[in-house]
Amino acid sequence: MRLYKRNSRSLIQLSVLLLGGYGLILAQKPPTAGTADAAIVAQFEAKVKQYLDFRQSTAGKPPKPSDKPADIVSRQREMANQIRVARAGAKQGEVFPSEIAQYFRKQIAASLSGPHGDQIRSSLRHAEPVKMELQINQSYPANQPLQSTPPTLLLNLPELPDGLEYRLMNRELVLRDTEVNLVVDCVPNALPESIQ
Amino acid sequence: MLTGRNIGVVLASLATMVSTLQAQANRVEVKLPLRQGSVRFAVIGDSGTGDKDQYEVAKEMEGYRAAVKYDFVIMLGDNIYGGHGPEDFTRKFELPYKPLLDAGVKFYASLGNHDDPNIERLYKPFNMNGERYYTFKKGDAQFFALDSNYMDAKQLTWVEQNLRSSNARWKICFFHHPLYNDGKSHGPDLDLRNQLSPLLKLYGVNSVFSGHEHAYERIKPQDGIYYFIQGDSGKLVHHDFRRRDVMETSFDKVCTFMLVEVNGDELFYQTVSRSGETVDSGKITRQREPARAAVGGR
Repeated sequence: MRLYKRNSRSLIQLSVLLLGGYGLILAQKPPTAGTADAAIVAQFEAKVKQYLDFRQSTAGKPPKPSDKPADIVSRQREMANQIRVARAGAKQGEVFPSEIAQYFRKQIAASLSGPHGDQIRSSLRHAEPVKMELQINQSYPANQPLQSTPPTLLLNLPELPDGLEYRLMNRELVLRDTEVNLVVDCVPNALPESIQ
Repeated sequence: MLTGRNIGVVLASLATMVSTLQAQANRVEVKLPLRQGSVRFAVIGDSGTGDKDQYEVAKEMEGYRAAVKYDFVIMLGDNIYGGHGPEDFTRKFELPYKPLLDAGVKFYASLGNHDDPNIERLYKPFNMNGERYYTFKKGDAQFFALDSNYMDAKQLTWVEQNLRSSNARWKICFFHHPLYNDGKSHGPDLDLRNQLSPLLKLYGVNSVFSGHEHAYERIKPQDGIYYFIQGDSGKLVHHDFRRRDVMETSFDKVCTFMLVEVNGDELFYQTVSRSGETVDSGKITRQREPARAAVGGR
């Protein structure tokens, strides 16, 4: 059985496991992390949990499946408005303060310079890159495409709980609340200039 | 004397005759064998523009449904372009496919980069049950709808676990971004291929349908897997292809959709243009053994 799982230092560690006589040698070498990195990731995870607890207490439960898009959209907008108001004045750096942001830049740079760097760059070029003004605590525009995020890059970032995701926008790495379509925070200049 | 078996054969023959007569009446050209008990479905990709092209393809799909009697459609992403208000769902999905929806045809969506996952996964007519990725079975076939926009560790684990535990005769994956493709507009997603294709190979996936590139392309089998790109059911890029080694055939003149029939060890496909012309058709024979033995590593 093969598992994709972040290790205690929040780095992807892909293991070679055996099942039924079939062995897999995985493509990625497990990255190593120092104690300092582990502390940074723990700090990030605490901020993420804090945000999700805040969302739960502020906006309640997300909509259920429905035949009527109006029902889904109105509930999501209601939740988004409650969060926007409660986080009014939110600025870049609340989830990604400079030390955490720097860790993310380092991880992304490592992915890009790793064995699959060329494929990641190729995928980024072919993913209909999104260029637009980014605003923290505002909705991601519904009429804009969501740029796909290369899997290998995702595997080298701390895993997120349900309801949040990483997205690339311009050169920024965005933390997006998927339940209410809000930009929670971002890492400025997460991608090197040469990518764009 | 008519035995139970004979009656079955007679009924199957009658059903085929009726389908053929209906096809003639509707002026459609069916290349599928329409065997009794087979799994039949249509495939659309990049459909949700709300433009004339989408409506014309939808009308042609309706004509073929009467003859082929497919009862579900898989959607390869970009199901709703642009805005995602209630009026967009009406204009870009409910109206063009109304005759199909009224006839009880089910749609199973996967997500493209122009889709809003928050809304679409909760929209019941897309049958996603609130999930970004999911699986369902039809007869001998199991389908795996994946979210190629965001192939994170959780989804990769889910893909592996579900493919491994499947004992379906046919394993069919569908998702938006193609792993192989000769289009000039986008091309293949190499990093996605890097992470996903070893799993598809290892666990015996038979066929993969993708969109994103706004044209039709059939790829030569890669690691024994048959790949189709169907990304022009509502949006077309003319003269999109540069011919390379992996291409078996392509079509980029007008919008198209696909019809597929799975029966026993055979999968039949037919690609139809918005004007009703068959632009590609053929048969795939199921790969007998998953490629496990051939995979020693990645």
